[in-house]
Amino acid sequence: MRVSTVSSTRRTSRRLPPLLGGPAAAACATVLACATLTAARANVAGDANAAAEADAATEVPAAAVIVADKTAAAAGPATGLADSAGLRATVFGTPPAELAPMPASVPLAEIDLTIPWANPVPAVFWFDRRLHVWFSAQDKPAPLAIVIAGTGGGGNASKLAVLRGALYGAGYHVLTMPSPTFPGFIVSASSTGVAGDLMQDSRDLYEAMRTVIAHLPARVKITDVDVLGYSLGGANAAVVKSIDAHEGKLHIHRAVMINPPVSLFTSVARLDKLFASSIGSGDAGVDRLYRQLYAEVANLYRASGKAEVDEDFLLGAAAAVLKTDAEFSAAIAMDFRLDLVDMFFAGDLYARTGVVVDPAHPPKVSDSLDATARRLRDMPFTEYFARVFVPYYVKHRSGATSTSLIAENRLDIIGDALRNDGDYYAQTNGDDLILDRPELNWLEQTLGSRIVVYDHGGHLGNLGERAQIADMLTMLAGRWRLPAS
Amino acid sequence: MQRALVLGVALTLGGCASREFDIRTLPPETPAADNAAAAEATAALGAAIAGQPAQGENSPASESAPAAAEAVAADPVTPADAPSMDTYDPWGRLNRFTYRFNARFDRAIFVPAANTYRRLPSPVVKGVHNFFGNLSEVDSVVNYVLQLRLKRAAQSLGRLAVNSTLGLAGLFDVATRFKMPAAPTGFSDTLGTWGMHPGPYLVIPLIGPSTLRDGIGVLGDYGVSYGVNLANLYRGNQEKTWSLGVVNAVDQRAHVSFRYYDTASPFEYENVRFLYVRKRLLEDEGLRRRKRPQAPAAGAPAGQ
Repeated sequence: MRVSTVSSTRRTSRRLPPLLGGPAAAACATVLACATLTAARANVAGDANAAAEADAATEVPAAAVIVADKTAAAAGPATGLADSAGLRATVFGTPPAELAPMPASVPLAEIDLTIPWANPVPAVFWFDRRLHVWFSAQDKPAPLAIVIAGTGGGGNASKLAVLRGALYGAGYHVLTMPSPTFPGFIVSASSTGVAGDLMQDSRDLYEAMRTVIAHLPARVKITDVDVLGYSLGGANAAVVKSIDAHEGKLHIHRAVMINPPVSLFTSVARLDKLFASSIGSGDAGVDRLYRQLYAEVANLYRASGKAEVDEDFLLGAAAAVLKTDAEFSAAIAMDFRLDLVDMFFAGDLYARTGVVVDPAHPPKVSDSLDATARRLRDMPFTEYFARVFVPYYVKHRSGATSTSLIAENRLDIIGDALRNDGDYYAQTNGDDLILDRPELNWLEQTLGSRIVVYDHGGHLGNLGERAQIADMLTMLAGRWRLPAS
Repeated sequence: MQRALVLGVALTLGGCASREFDIRTLPPETPAADNAAAAEATAALGAAIAGQPAQGENSPASESAPAAAEAVAADPVTPADAPSMDTYDPWGRLNRFTYRFNARFDRAIFVPAANTYRRLPSPVVKGVHNFFGNLSEVDSVVNYVLQLRLKRAAQSLGRLAVNSTLGLAGLFDVATRFKMPAAPTGFSDTLGTWGMHPGPYLVIPLIGPSTLRDGIGVLGDYGVSYGVNLANLYRGNQEKTWSLGVVNAVDQRAHVSFRYYDTASPFEYENVRFLYVRKRLLEDEGLRRRKRPQAPAAGAPAGQ
């Protein structure tokens, strides 16, 4: 999720330069995207909510996934464990004043590599034949921390940059990796092209890590290897460590999961439900949200007297425009849906399942994707699961069924390791919307004293905050003791 | 045969090894300073929300607040007024081609040049950036006059005068420190003020996302710069003019964090188009608020 990226993309130009209006404007546009997402709030309460709930009720049984989600169903506009404060924290992220101390300067290199086992690159992905990861090297022997992004996140996502700063400051070499659900990873490093399977994706990730580390310059001396990740990346990190425990190629020492899901598809189904209840289903819901947003931002802009729509304005607009739980929920749901659009498209293209991409006539590089984008906007994750993911895995994994695939995409698959190996750690929040009470209980029982649960922070809303960073570093150093309560 | 094989292997190793694994050093990140700046901005934002509307450093509050209150009360934008989510793009095929060209050019030439430039000492980079910002103030003055926003024209003229003199030919932006914040405008805004619609989406080679009106605006702004020819920078010595243009381009690029296909999304063209045009339409809403209250306010440029 990248809901709160706004504050960390502040280096953008403020003025529309005479010569380069384009890239500057495009940058503003990217920021506008973030703010649109941040600001994406449905003022569509009342009637829309009622209608959406009816829609949700008919949509939901499409996958058995949701059956597990009964506990959250009664929880009103929020979902999982989220309360009002949790939703707000999820959208706005850690207030800058509460961020952990960071180093003044962090060296950075981008590594671009070709992964030999990747599938041929489809024409529409012409720009992305290689995997991109980012590396910060200490100039002395040091442990390596590998950090994995959450759903849809690239290898230099703003949340990764937060963790990179903290880890580099604590003396680690830092390697940041994209999520296996990031379209760039799907195209350059996935062996399937169909993202979402915890074990398969983590295997691909593990192989990619090995390739990267094998090619690092000889001057980089690595004394130890740890993995961590946030959200889905947290689950990936733990599974990567368990794979390494069998294969022993990287000698991964410790793993820290930050706000991980327990059941992937249950968590995602919660976000689908959040979308249905806060935005509504179909294009009409998105259109209504967009019009509401446009009008509110336009009026704020007129009132501001500014000469252009810049970041300062957008930040202010986001803060002014989001008010109710339903609005914050809509922002979170919309952000996730936009990540899903790319993953859905890529999966459908690679698996040749024909939901939005005709396998006989895949889009060419100059084709308009307008109609496809419009169709994908109303496709919830359950559609991806039922029409792309399940058909692909039923065909390629013997004995797979939709029920078995749901069961295999839970952290339970490495439950024994989590329970018995003292080098797995987790940090999460008591109001994280991707978890429900039984799932949080499961994490606490499985990890025992190796999990810390903060009262507040929503989903990743306290990433980079002082206590979160301090505890994470203590865990990675193997010095973690749960404060006696 | 053997020789061909050896040659082939050598070429593969020599030619492709670097292509299979590249490490490119980027300018270092500065998280401590970035976070401090963000904390400051957030505090200012909090103060602005708590206090008067739009007290932010960028808005000439004396002008905007009364006019805005009047305009918004008179004619707020409603959801029904919002432009369609679809963007008018009749030249889509050509635009997509140009977008791909721009992405390749950006990666191969523009971004590496900007990264090199960013390694210069930061006072140098800042000075260069201020210098070009000061030059573009000429466009703002002329266009605010054409928009009949005389107070803003005067402010831009004041900035130009202060920064060109006290700011040592524009190298220092002292005007902002004197509470004369930048509020750039251009010929496209002028056309918008007089009612010209943005028109079809247009991707301009090297420049990027635009609309027909913004494209005309770029030409108009260059025309104004050329016509005014401040300090004889735009005419005369060809070499000087060209190198100035190149430095300007690299400086502007270095101040924009956008990277083509960082999102790795096959829908990036559609997404950028949507956001660019929406941004410009929102800015037009701001221009329109100026026009409507003017009839009742009888000629007095608001706030004067």
